Amino acid sequence: MKIVIAGAGEVGSHLAKLLSKEEQDVILVDADAEKLAAIDANYNLMTNCGSPTSFTVLSEAGVAQCDLFIAVTPFETTNVIACSIAKNLGAKKTVARIDNYEFMEQRNSAFFNALGVNNLIYPEYLAAKEILTSLERTWVRTWFDIHDGELTVVGVKIRDNAPLCGMQLKDLAASGHNFHVAAIRRRNETIIPRGDDRIIHNDILYFTTTRDHIENIREMCGKRQVNIRKVLVMGGSRIAVRLAAIAGDRYKFKIIDIDRQRCVKLCERCPDAKIVNGDARDIDTLDEEGIDDMDAFIALTDRSETNILASLTAKEHGIKKTIAEVEDLQFISPAENLNIGTIVNKKLLASSTIFQMLLATDSSSSKFLALADADVAEIEVRAGSKITRGPVRSLRLSRDVTIAGLIRDGRGMLVTGQTVIEPGDHVVVFCLSGTIHKIERLFG
Amino acid sequence: MSRQHIRLTTINFPMVLRVVGWLLMIEGAFLVLPLMACAAYGETDMEAFAISAVATALTGLLMTFGIRPSRTDMGKREGFLLTALVWVFFSAFGMLPFMLCSHPLELSDAFFEAMSGFTTTGASALTSVEMFSHGILLWRCLMQWIGGMGIILFTLAVIPMLNHSGGMQMFNAEVTGITHDKLRPRISQTAKGLWFLYFLLTAILTLLLWIGPMDFFDSLCHAFSSISTGGYSTRDDSIGAWNSAYVKLVITIFMFLGGVNFGLMYKAMHGNLRCFWRNDVFKAYIRIILVFYIFFVIAIVGRGQVTDLSSFTLDPLFQIISTITSTGLTVNNFESWGTFVLALLFLLMFFGSCAGSTSGGAKIDRILFLLKNSGNEVYRCIHPNTMMSVRINDKVIAPDVVSKVIAFLCIYVMIIAAGGILLTAFNIPLVDAFFSSFSCVSNTGLGTGVTGYGESYAIIPSSGKWVLSLLMLTGRLEIFTVLLLFTPGFWRK
Repeated sequence: MKIVIAGAGEVGSHLAKLLSKEEQDVILVDADAEKLAAIDANYNLMTNCGSPTSFTVLSEAGVAQCDLFIAVTPFETTNVIACSIAKNLGAKKTVARIDNYEFMEQRNSAFFNALGVNNLIYPEYLAAKEILTSLERTWVRTWFDIHDGELTVVGVKIRDNAPLCGMQLKDLAASGHNFHVAAIRRRNETIIPRGDDRIIHNDILYFTTTRDHIENIREMCGKRQVNIRKVLVMGGSRIAVRLAAIAGDRYKFKIIDIDRQRCVKLCERCPDAKIVNGDARDIDTLDEEGIDDMDAFIALTDRSETNILASLTAKEHGIKKTIAEVEDLQFISPAENLNIGTIVNKKLLASSTIFQMLLATDSSSSKFLALADADVAEIEVRAGSKITRGPVRSLRLSRDVTIAGLIRDGRGMLVTGQTVIEPGDHVVVFCLSGTIHKIERLFG
Repeated sequence: MSRQHIRLTTINFPMVLRVVGWLLMIEGAFLVLPLMACAAYGETDMEAFAISAVATALTGLLMTFGIRPSRTDMGKREGFLLTALVWVFFSAFGMLPFMLCSHPLELSDAFFEAMSGFTTTGASALTSVEMFSHGILLWRCLMQWIGGMGIILFTLAVIPMLNHSGGMQMFNAEVTGITHDKLRPRISQTAKGLWFLYFLLTAILTLLLWIGPMDFFDSLCHAFSSISTGGYSTRDDSIGAWNSAYVKLVITIFMFLGGVNFGLMYKAMHGNLRCFWRNDVFKAYIRIILVFYIFFVIAIVGRGQVTDLSSFTLDPLFQIISTITSTGLTVNNFESWGTFVLALLFLLMFFGSCAGSTSGGAKIDRILFLLKNSGNEVYRCIHPNTMMSVRINDKVIAPDVVSKVIAFLCIYVMIIAAGGILLTAFNIPLVDAFFSSFSCVSNTGLGTGVTGYGESYAIIPSSGKWVLSLLMLTGRLEIFTVLLLFTPGFWRK
């Protein structure tokens, strides 16, 4: 598939690297030659230096023949115009990154379609939704509903006190629990586990299960559900504004920001939240704002380091749920090993959304979730594909792929070695990064 | 994703050797071609090629399946090391037929001949080629053909294994030029496109030569060595043996094409013909040829060497293009044109033709950079506040690229000088030592006969041949790839 990406910023270059590893034809366009040079020399893709809103540059990049055009420059107007130009030049599908909730509204979608923008991604909105989910379920790190909640993927950090800790997966299977451990994140790597793998302290387990058995998982992990009411937000970023807007009155937000001007703006945009002008890194400020009474702490400043450390400090103050925005990809692994509840990354969220669109053009329905170095995809099985040829056990799946569950006739169910996958099923697949093409082979 | 940020500190030798093994199997397959030629002509060298092919393929097989690397990742260091190693390994196995054939060469001669072949230098350690079998003659030309477009590039086109970022590094280490323009998003597609074009040109040239006075075997060999701008021939008198204006004309045209950026030709092939006239380097290439042609004609007329029509039309043109594209073929009466012409040839050898072509030399792209930048500097002497930029093909070139180019040219000259000085240590006369060094670094392979020292490189002592082999490799991989391996920083953690 031919993909043109405009904007070699963080999201753009991350996507370009990812897609190039997935063996797609990637062309990256940006006006900044220096940004491109580093990527061009090290990755198997093509770069084109020039303005993303120039007709000449876009035609040179081969937009006319591309299957997907992704505009992810920092400016939404540039993105919309770039998409519009690309569509007019012949791009099959266009995606623009935006930063304006109005654009997302259903009534405006016809307008954007007329402009030639097929899809919009709004990373800040995605991040805010992610934060909201983890505020609702304090005991999970990742929560991902598939097919309206028929199947759920849950990521939980296991500690010594969990009944699961120390068990081998085959014992777990024998004890007849209704969930499936699809992946384990241990220290810095993700493992697709086999029967003789043992669950140890500090693992993050990714379960798939059906709606009725989530409580069972919570008990097995030794977790308690905490009700969150008061939330302290550090950094009045765009995510914070969006969070306050979509959360409504379920939570009481207090937003601390260091910049006075921004605080004035925040007052205007978040009428229901309390705005504090101060430095949240300062312990006195935190005490003054009643950190000890808070139920959750969310760090959303521009600096990953600050967010990580501030979350750790908050944890020491006895806050039950902490969430940190970590934008530097290389910090995600170390941060996950620390005692931080949930980590949010706009780039991964945006790229998973785009992956989802990519798969959607290949298979009729799919969903996508990017973990730190593994992916989850929901794929509809077509008649005659390789995966329907026999029970899962006999398929000899590659070691970095596992089938985590399936949805048949609208009902979620787990997959065992004996399960035979039928055409029309929606299968949830876990795979390590860079192996999506193996999955395509399986379902092609 | 998180793992890719951990930079490699130690070189992944097993993986490098494993890939070399893969490539050797390909070389083994290539060796079958001269084997078939020997079989067709019923020559005794069949055995030599059979042994060479089997030995090469077997070594490759052992290296590929015997070595089990614990990691499969390849970074920048591995890319550079692999590229340099592949060329050495190819020459080491490519010399086997020369040592096993009916007129066996000694080690240094055979290695020199093979390295000269793969780097498309075309300098020969043989005093006469006509006594050798068809198989050997074909193999010499085939080596040039493989080396012309690049061993790595060929592999990228045929083996999907290298179609990842490690392959990217190797592509950058091997392809000539300052910036490496990709034609298609994926490296294997770029490689396939270039090789298809190369193959097409070779086929056309073979046909055209075959129509003329040459037989099929000679046409094929000369097609191989002309399009790759290598310059090996099947006759001692080179293409003078046919004494045909047609052959000379056809070869001149295809040498010229061999000196054009293949990326540009690829674009032209896909309907974008105007890209030639918008390309500054191509225009400079044409202009240089025309200007030198005028000088040559003046020199020839001035010395009263006008004998027939061809002596002031085709002959000088042939000589200019043969030199600027680093093919290194000479016309018969060229010695009588005088020293001025010889000096002009030195300049042409230094220039080389467009980057991204099969030719050697410093490449016109770099010369253009240098000239434009020098012009700017001179202008700035009286207008110190002027902001100026080096602009090529309507694109402003970043100052660090310009400084890299200038560094390249300095090192290039220094290496020629160093090679020359080293050769004088082996009792080679001063001028000839420097000329041989120059000729090998620029991959031209003009015989030392030009300066009056012996007929071919056979006269150079064997230690000198090893030095020249290294110089040829350094020149072919455009200096940095080879030079890097001699810096301690490359090997250190």
